[in-house]
Amino acid sequence: MRYRILFKKRYNSTFLFEGFLSLLSVIAALFFAGIALKLFGVSPVRAYAAMFRGALGSWYGVGEVIVKAIPLIIAGVAVALAFRMKIWNIGAEGQIYIGALAATAAVRFLSTGNQFVMLSTMVAAAFLGGGIWGYLAGFLKARWNVNEIITTLMLNYIAIHLVEYFIYGPWRDPSSLGFPMTAPFPASARLPQFFDSRVHMGIFAAILLIMAFRLVIRWTRWGFEIRAIGDNPKAARYAGIRYGRNILLLMFMSGAIAGVAGMVEISGLQGRLQHGFSPGYGYTAIIVAWLARLNPWGILIVAFFMGVLLVGGDTLQIVMRLPVASVQVIQGCILFAVLASEFIRNYRIQIVKRERE
Amino acid sequence: MNKKLVGVLIAVVLVAAGFMFLRPKQELPTAPSAETAVDLKVGFVYVGPVGDGGWTYMHDAGRLEMEKAFPGMETFFVESVPEGPDSVRVMETFIQNGAKLVFATSFGYMDFVQDVAAKNPDVVFMHCSGYKTAANVGNYFGRMYQARYLSGLVAGKMSKSNIIGYVAANPIPEVIRGINAFTLGAQKTNPKVKVKVVWLFSWFDPAKEKEATLALIDAGADVIAMHADSGAAPQTAEEAGVYVVGYNNDMSRYAPTKHLTAPVWNWGMVYKHIAGQVIEGTWKSSNIWWGLKEKFVGLAPISSEVPEETVTLVNSETENIISGKGDVFTGPIMNQKGEVVVQTGEKMSDGDMLGMNWFVMGVEGEIPK
Amino acid sequence: MKSRNDRYLAVMKGIEKSFVGVNANEGIDFDLRSGEVHTLLGENGAGKSTLMNILSGLYTPENGSITIDGEKKTFKSPRDAIDSGIGMVHQHFMLVPTQTVWENVALGLKGLPFVLRKREIISNVLAIQDRYGIHVDPLAPIWQLSIGEQQRVAILKMLYRKADILILDEPTAVLIPQETRALFATIRQMVAEEHGVIFISHKLDEVLDISDRITILRKGRKVATIPVENATKESLAEMMVGRKVVFQIDKTLQNPGRVVLEAKDLTVRGPRGRISVNGFSIEVRQREILGLAGVSGNGQEELCDSLAGLRKPEVGSILIDGVPLEGEPARTFQRRGVSYIPADRLGTGLVTGMNIRENIALRKFWRKEFTRFHIFVHWENIAGRTGQLVERYGVLNPGLGYPARMLSGGNLQKLMLARELSDDPRAVIAVQPTWGLDVSATQFVRETLLEQRDRGAAILLVSDDLEEILSMSDRVAVIHNGRLMGLVENPDRVTEEQMGLMMAGTRLDEFSPQDHESGKSPGKAVPENHEIQDPL
Repeated sequence: MRYRILFKKRYNSTFLFEGFLSLLSVIAALFFAGIALKLFGVSPVRAYAAMFRGALGSWYGVGEVIVKAIPLIIAGVAVALAFRMKIWNIGAEGQIYIGALAATAAVRFLSTGNQFVMLSTMVAAAFLGGGIWGYLAGFLKARWNVNEIITTLMLNYIAIHLVEYFIYGPWRDPSSLGFPMTAPFPASARLPQFFDSRVHMGIFAAILLIMAFRLVIRWTRWGFEIRAIGDNPKAARYAGIRYGRNILLLMFMSGAIAGVAGMVEISGLQGRLQHGFSPGYGYTAIIVAWLARLNPWGILIVAFFMGVLLVGGDTLQIVMRLPVASVQVIQGCILFAVLASEFIRNYRIQIVKRERE
Repeated sequence: MNKKLVGVLIAVVLVAAGFMFLRPKQELPTAPSAETAVDLKVGFVYVGPVGDGGWTYMHDAGRLEMEKAFPGMETFFVESVPEGPDSVRVMETFIQNGAKLVFATSFGYMDFVQDVAAKNPDVVFMHCSGYKTAANVGNYFGRMYQARYLSGLVAGKMSKSNIIGYVAANPIPEVIRGINAFTLGAQKTNPKVKVKVVWLFSWFDPAKEKEATLALIDAGADVIAMHADSGAAPQTAEEAGVYVVGYNNDMSRYAPTKHLTAPVWNWGMVYKHIAGQVIEGTWKSSNIWWGLKEKFVGLAPISSEVPEETVTLVNSETENIISGKGDVFTGPIMNQKGEVVVQTGEKMSDGDMLGMNWFVMGVEGEIPK
Repeated sequence: MKSRNDRYLAVMKGIEKSFVGVNANEGIDFDLRSGEVHTLLGENGAGKSTLMNILSGLYTPENGSITIDGEKKTFKSPRDAIDSGIGMVHQHFMLVPTQTVWENVALGLKGLPFVLRKREIISNVLAIQDRYGIHVDPLAPIWQLSIGEQQRVAILKMLYRKADILILDEPTAVLIPQETRALFATIRQMVAEEHGVIFISHKLDEVLDISDRITILRKGRKVATIPVENATKESLAEMMVGRKVVFQIDKTLQNPGRVVLEAKDLTVRGPRGRISVNGFSIEVRQREILGLAGVSGNGQEELCDSLAGLRKPEVGSILIDGVPLEGEPARTFQRRGVSYIPADRLGTGLVTGMNIRENIALRKFWRKEFTRFHIFVHWENIAGRTGQLVERYGVLNPGLGYPARMLSGGNLQKLMLARELSDDPRAVIAVQPTWGLDVSATQFVRETLLEQRDRGAAILLVSDDLEEILSMSDRVAVIHNGRLMGLVENPDRVTEEQMGLMMAGTRLDEFSPQDHESGKSPGKAVPENHEIQDPL
């Protein structure tokens, strides 16, 4: 008797099923990465044990995981919001940079000793800065239908170079002997950290944004409009939902939230604006948003998981003496598994008995 | 419904099988401890990958040299650590794993080294190329400009078009110093020579390094010098048939026929020195800034295509610098505008050199302000 | 034509095919003799297309056999079927718009030299044209041709490949009556030349006109195969639907009231910037259905979009109850009571990924009663309203939280009617409201529209189906190439011939006097680009 595998389109899925799939894709990812580790000559189980001990085996590790997760959550919400409307904002990286730049400008020009006022001003500046950066791409899309994937990507480069211009040029710390960074922020411009760790107030911003994202998408008129456009732009137009105006608003909000991620990162951790301060959070956030299937709480979980992976990756290098490439292999495996599970999500795989021919 | 269940079962079985296949081996005791062995763990924070063929590659060579010199010593490293808050975690993890000495090998780690050092007073931190110290933080760097100057002598001699291209990473004093020293050397053997500078704004970006090299060749350069972490520039120069001066290590493997020489680092000697002090308990916070004399920096073998007289000149200049008779930045030195910055016979102070942010006459390029 | 031949071109036996649990074909027997027109009749979803896609090699049957000209065949691809002399003309013609007629005919021919022998191909094309009476310029690019001409190219293409068996899938859906007649002449010529033609349709009059035999399918099963002599409209309909069908629409006479929906000198650009509606003026009054006839693609969609506020007109004005609204956002039109039932149910009218509640909310969520604190959607109220509407309109559904894509075609249309007609709209724009629906759903839609008319709504009914337009409407306007061709005050007294002429671009006032004794004084036709007086 012979069997054959059929792929059939799947039409309905439940929340439980989605969660199960995400879990399955993670397990599959670890499995594939395990094969890679084995090829590097390392026991995968020991490697994973080292990884998870490093990341979750101590309060320090957990704190660091949270520290890593904060910008990923915030930027993840930013891109997920845009993705909900099928607007492909891959410019979160640039928006993070501009947010940090604007927050630094606030520190330079509106400096005050009152921490609350200073931080609020910085958040507002970052929000506005990132928002404008997103709005630029939104405007081009709404006005001339310029592909936002290209514009947001291009704006990333511009943003990064703009930041470089300031830190190499006018904002360079005069006491840094010409090294490219701004002067350290005053204490009032630093987000408080807690528990003798580096976990900072940004965590509240992250959780607040997750809840706001859920509230907006599920319960508000704007969220309904976003979903309608995302699901069927023609029907949304028919419903009288204004496409252009929604793109502008959405790209502004998406950019603004990413901008806040930039502010939180430099104010909570860096304490100054420095060359290359974001190790690609804006791009990792895209992975986070997809892996979470644009689900708000999913973003929280996935960002935390990413944090574990990144923090554990350091431990892996130190304890198992693995090259940095190993962490990247694992990340690659996860992406691959997500793609595969996307397929499983859309298709039902059946193994059936082949009838005699 | 049944079929779904079957699918789940298959997945579970596969995963379980995978874990069985990957079952851990018997744990072996790790540290082979001899009586004479030193009990010191050392962590290295690398800015690039070990395989960059340049900066990090040389640091890693130094690490291995040190490890060999002290049996029983254990070293850790993490590659490609961004010059940001992530470095804090890397250093903390070293310390959690028992490191008592940490080398941070790039400038951008400076503030983070300070933060971690403040929390871990019993650990010694050495920061490469920085300027901030603390009771348990010292700095180390080399007078690479001396070797740059020597390589400039060679490059100036070999240029026929009188244009030398310089692929430069970031406009910071270290790099500017190197460009100036190189230019002074080149002018000594070829007074008409001009040095064109292209900035990369990145330490390690092979694609950009290649592009910059090609741009300089297009602009008429017939010798390329470089200050970047990879071997992309020598490789490109070799392909284009243009002479090249490497950096970090002997890069003739990237440019077998066109490599003239290269100013090189010898990190191993300084790592051995510092580790020795820490082991003996004599370490004190200081700024190490060694040069040709200590053999911290030097010159890679000079190509056979370079005339004998130039090699002789290089040797005599080396002697001069080592003996202290004449350092590179000895007046008169003019800036790009033709103003005398260092008076005749005067020697530039270390402090002025460390903050150097102007180009000598003969450099074509701008320092972003 | 009735001369029969006993040579069997194709015999299909016991054909079975299923899709995800639905049996599209259950043991169907079908055969085709040379020199006959064999019609396949059935409602949407009865399995006609599936059966023909199997015969043309697009699908592989799970069971059953196909015999072509006495030889047993298994088709692995459409190419195999073409090689066996089977040609199918689909509803969408699958032509390359930028290429010329002869190039399209040559496209995909087997054994062509690398450099096409243009002259040879063209002369062959012309020979076929003469033989079958199909005329179309071989050098014209496809995009310049009308839909009817494109259909001729698709048929030519099949004849060029020496197809013995021609399958025509709903060929008349896109034609005006004159074109249909020309097509039938071609079909008769083909049959006379010993070809066999399989004709797919659900228009009973046409079926009775052209067929030799008729096979009726219902829900994937064959009901019967009968010679045309034994068939009547009523018997065919009954076999098709499974019960007696009344062809009567209960339409009471109404006195139309004042003008509700009015367009004046409307010029609208289409999606590619082409002028699609050109100086169009029309008035729709309370308690009337104004039918808009025309071959699809003549500007109906753009006209309706602009009347519903979805597309800004270039020139001209749109008045609702006398208030000019052109340039206002779509929501203002909705507020003023303009309902819109677009042709494209799945693509435009509904969001199939959203659940039933959300689809009801789609054009209502901004209303006060469905809003909380201005920014939130009042989902409880939406749910309550959805429950009522689903019940009133009889939308069969698995639950209000399920996505709309799980509903059948008829129920999707009911869902859309429920949303669009529930708040006593002032004006209703209904485009192809019964397209693709089965007989009972069609009847429901028509009755609902008539109810709305009787309640007092002004209804603009747009349809390709001339029969539907003529039977439903109180007045009929005809559109061609974006222009108004004429307005017929009494549809009972206009001939199909005249309608066809207008649909093909002749203006009503160009007819000779005896031609329009049927209708109306020519002065009443609203001339294009001509100012008319505001009736208010």
